[in-house]
Amino acid sequence: MQIQNILLTIDKISTFIGQAFSWLIVSLTFMITWEVISRYAFDNPHPWAFDVMIMMYGSVFMMAGAYTLSKNGHVRGDVLYGFFSPRVQASLDLLLYFLFFIPGVFALAWAGYNFAGEAWAINEHSNVTADGPPVYPFKTILPVAGAFLLLQGVVEIIRCVICIREGEWPSREQDVEEVDVEKLKEMVHVKDEDIAALDRFVVAQEGAHSSAHGGAAK
Amino acid sequence: MKIRKELWFGFSLMAAILLVTVIFMPWSNMQNGHIGLLMLSLVVVAIMLGFPTAFTLMGMGVFFAWLAYRSGNPDLAVRQTLDLMVQRAYSVMSNDVLISIPLFVFMGYLVERANLISKLFRALELALARVPGALAVATLVTCAIFATATGIVGAVVTLMGLLALPAMLKSGYDVRLSAGVITAGGCLGILIPPSVLLIVYGATAGVSVVQLYAGAFFPGIMLASLYIGYVIIVAKWKPHLAPPLPMEERHVDLPAANEKMRDAISHRVLPGLIGALKGSRNLGISTGVIAKQGFVALLPAMALALFLGFTWHLATKPVVTNEAAGLVEMGGGIAEEAAEGASGGLDEPKEEGGLAEPKEEGGLAEPKEEGGDLKEPPADDGLKEPPADGVKELPAANAAAEPVKSATAAAPPAPSAVDTAPGPAAGITPEAAERRPIPIWYWIVLGVSVTSAVGFYTIFTFVRLEVFKMLLGSFFPLALMILAVLGSIVFGFATPTEAAALGSAGGFILAAAYKQLNFGVVKESVFLTAKTSAMVCWLFVGSSIFSAAFALLGGQNLVEQWVLSLNMTPLQFMLLSQFIIFILGWPLEWTEIIVIFMPIFIPLLPHFHVDPLFFGLLVALNLQTAFLSPPVAMAAFYLKGVSPPHVTLNQIFAGMMPFMVIQVFALALLYIFPEIGMWLPGVLYGN
Repeated sequence: MQIQNILLTIDKISTFIGQAFSWLIVSLTFMITWEVISRYAFDNPHPWAFDVMIMMYGSVFMMAGAYTLSKNGHVRGDVLYGFFSPRVQASLDLLLYFLFFIPGVFALAWAGYNFAGEAWAINEHSNVTADGPPVYPFKTILPVAGAFLLLQGVVEIIRCVICIREGEWPSREQDVEEVDVEKLKEMVHVKDEDIAALDRFVVAQEGAHSSAHGGAAK
Repeated sequence: MKIRKELWFGFSLMAAILLVTVIFMPWSNMQNGHIGLLMLSLVVVAIMLGFPTAFTLMGMGVFFAWLAYRSGNPDLAVRQTLDLMVQRAYSVMSNDVLISIPLFVFMGYLVERANLISKLFRALELALARVPGALAVATLVTCAIFATATGIVGAVVTLMGLLALPAMLKSGYDVRLSAGVITAGGCLGILIPPSVLLIVYGATAGVSVVQLYAGAFFPGIMLASLYIGYVIIVAKWKPHLAPPLPMEERHVDLPAANEKMRDAISHRVLPGLIGALKGSRNLGISTGVIAKQGFVALLPAMALALFLGFTWHLATKPVVTNEAAGLVEMGGGIAEEAAEGASGGLDEPKEEGGLAEPKEEGGLAEPKEEGGDLKEPPADDGLKEPPADGVKELPAANAAAEPVKSATAAAPPAPSAVDTAPGPAAGITPEAAERRPIPIWYWIVLGVSVTSAVGFYTIFTFVRLEVFKMLLGSFFPLALMILAVLGSIVFGFATPTEAAALGSAGGFILAAAYKQLNFGVVKESVFLTAKTSAMVCWLFVGSSIFSAAFALLGGQNLVEQWVLSLNMTPLQFMLLSQFIIFILGWPLEWTEIIVIFMPIFIPLLPHFHVDPLFFGLLVALNLQTAFLSPPVAMAAFYLKGVSPPHVTLNQIFAGMMPFMVIQVFALALLYIFPEIGMWLPGVLYGN
C-alpha cells in the first residue's frame, strides 16, 4: 500500500501540472479571438501575437504529456492488447517501457536540456518578427516536460511490476473521460431501464426474422 | 470464442508481416535502406503489441537514427541523434498548423456540452417526418451536423445510440440498419471539415489546410448524401426495414394561443395570425403574442428579401464578377455571425433553403433543412445554379417581375393564388442610371424565390411553425457556426488557427445560450482538450523522429526505386496506395496511418503526377472505412456499449457493411470525378 500511495502522489503531481497548463487553452482561445477582432475592427495587429500563440500551444501539449500518460490516455494500437489478460499486458508494457520509452524519452529530455541551455546562454529571442519575445523559457519546456514524463514513466513501470505480481492493474485516480457513458446518459435523460426495456423490440424482431426464415424453408 | 478469433487475426497479421520481411530481406547484403524497411515492418508489429504508439515511434526512431548516424561517423552518432531528436520535437512544438488542433478539439467539447443534440434530433425527426426512412435520415443529418461541429466520434455515436436507436427500434426499424446508420453517421465528422484528420494530414504532407478544407467539403457532403440516398431507397424498397413514422410520433404540441388560432381561424399561420389580430377580442390573445409569432413566421420571408436585395445589389453593381460577389456575400454572413446578432445570424441557411425548395414539391419543411445542410457556399450556388433550374421549372419566368419586398409581403394574405407565380407583371421598377441593367437570370432567381415563398407560406401551418421554431433553436445555430468557421477559413478571412479560436469562442457562446456554461463544463472541456492534444501532438513528436530516421537510413529511396521499377501507371499506383491504406485501416487507427505512412507515400506522388491535395482527399475518405472496419471499428464498440443486450456486435458489424461499400463507391466516384473535390479549391485559389 505504501507503494500505491507514492504512485498516486506522483500521478497527482503529473495531473496537477498538466491541468494547470491546460488552462492555457482558454487564454489561447481568447487571445486569438481578441487578436482577430483587434486586427479587423481596430486595424491594430500585434507582431508578438504569433509567437505567443505558438508558445501557449507548445506548452499545453508538452506539459500535458505526463498527465495523459498518468491517465493512460496515449493512443495504443488496440488490435490485440485489449484481449490480453492483465498479466500479459503488463509484461509486454514492462518490456517495451525499457525498450522504447526510457531510451526515447530520456534522450529527448537530455537533448532538450542542452538545447534549452544554449538558448539561455545566448539569451535567444524569436526571429519570426523583429524584436521578438524571448524563446528560452519556451525551450525550457522541452526538458521539463521530458523529465516529468520520465518520472511518470517510472510510475507506470512500477505499475506493470505490481500488475505482474498481483494479476490485476492497480487502480488509478478518476479523471474526466471523453466518452463518459453515464454522463452522456444523464445528458439526454436516458436510464438503464429504458435501454433494457428496448430489448423486447430487438427480441421481437429476431423472432419475426427466424419465423419468416422458417416459413421460407418449408 | 470471440476473443480467440480476434487474437488469431492479430497474430496472423503480425506473423505475415514478419514472414514477408524475413523472406524478402537480403540478409547477406544489408544496406542502410534495407534496415529502414526492416524498421518499418517492425514498427507495425510493435504498434500492434499495444504500447502507446507515440513512444514506440520515439524509441524506435532514436535507435535507428543512431544506427544511421553510426554508419556515417561513429564518434558523432550520439550527438547527432540527440540533435535530430530535439530539432524534431521543437518543430512540432512550434508548428503553426498543429496549433489549430487544441482549438478545434476545444470547440468540439464545448459544443458537445451545450447539449443540443436531443433538440436537434427531435426537430429533424419532425421536419423530415414525410421522407421515407424519416428516422434514419434524421439520424444521419443529426450525426453529420453534430459530428462536424464536435469531431468526437465516440461521443456522437454514444449519444445517437442513446437517442436514435431507441426511437428507431420502437418504430420497428431493422436493428442492423439502425446500427449502420448511427455508426456511419457518427464517423462523418472526421471527413467533413473542420476536421482534425485534415489538419494532421496537412501538417504531415505539407499541404495547405485551407485548401484541404475547401476540397473536402463536397466529398463530405457527397458521402452524407449517398448515405441518405441509400437509406431512402431501402425504406422505399423494403418498408419493413424502415417503416414510416407513426402518426403519434409526429404529434407536435402547440402553444395554447396558437392552438386557439388554428381551431378558430385557419390552420395556416399567416391567415391565422391576421385573423386573430383583427378579432383579437374574440380570442383573447394579446397583440404581443401574435407579433412574436408573426416575427418568427416572417423570418424566412425576411431572409429571402434580404438575399434578393443583396443579389440585386451585386448583380447590378458596376463591374463585379461572380466570384468576387461570392467573397463579399460570404463575408457579410460571417460579419453577422461574429456579431452574434440573433436575427442577422439566422439569415443565411434559409436563403439556400429558399432556393433549394423549388426542386421538390410537397412537404416544404423538408427541403428547407436539406437545403441548409447540403447546399453550401451560398454565393456561388446561389448565383450560378438557380438560373438553370428556373429555366426548366418556370418557363413563364417573367411572370414574377414584381418588386421584391412587396411580393413577399403581399403574397401570403392571398393564398388563393396558390400554385402559380404570384401575379402578372406589375411593372418593373426603374433602376438608377449608373447601375447595370438587371440581368435576365436575376429575374429568374426572383421568380423562383417568390414562387417558392408563396408556396412555402401556403403550406406553412401552425404545426410547421412549431417545427420551424425547434429548428431555429437547434439546427440553424450549429449549421451557422460550422459555416462561419469554414467560410472564414475557405474565403481567406481568417487562418485555420484564428477560425478555430473563433469557433471555440462560439462554443462558449453556444453553451452559454443553452444555459449549460458553468465552471465545471469549462474545466472538463479544458482537461479533455489537453489530453487529446497531448495524445495527437506527442504522436507527432514520435512520428517525426521516426520518419527522420527512416529518411536517414535511405528507406525512402529504396521504396521509391522499388515503386518506380514496377512501372505502374498512375491509376495502378493510386489503386495500390489506397488499397494499402484501406488494409492498414484494419489494425491501425487513422492517426497512426497518417503520421507513419503518409511521409512514405507523399514523396512518390510527383512521379505519378498526383496532386498531394487530391491524394489527401482520397485518403481522408478512405480512412472513414478505418472506423467502420472490424475488428478495430471503434464506432461499433461505442454503440454496443449503450444498446440493449440482445443487439450483438455481429449485427452492428453487419449493419456497417453497406455503408462501407458506399464509402468505397464514394472513393471511386471521387477518383473518377476529381472535380468533386478539386473544383472548389480550384475556383478559390486557382490551382
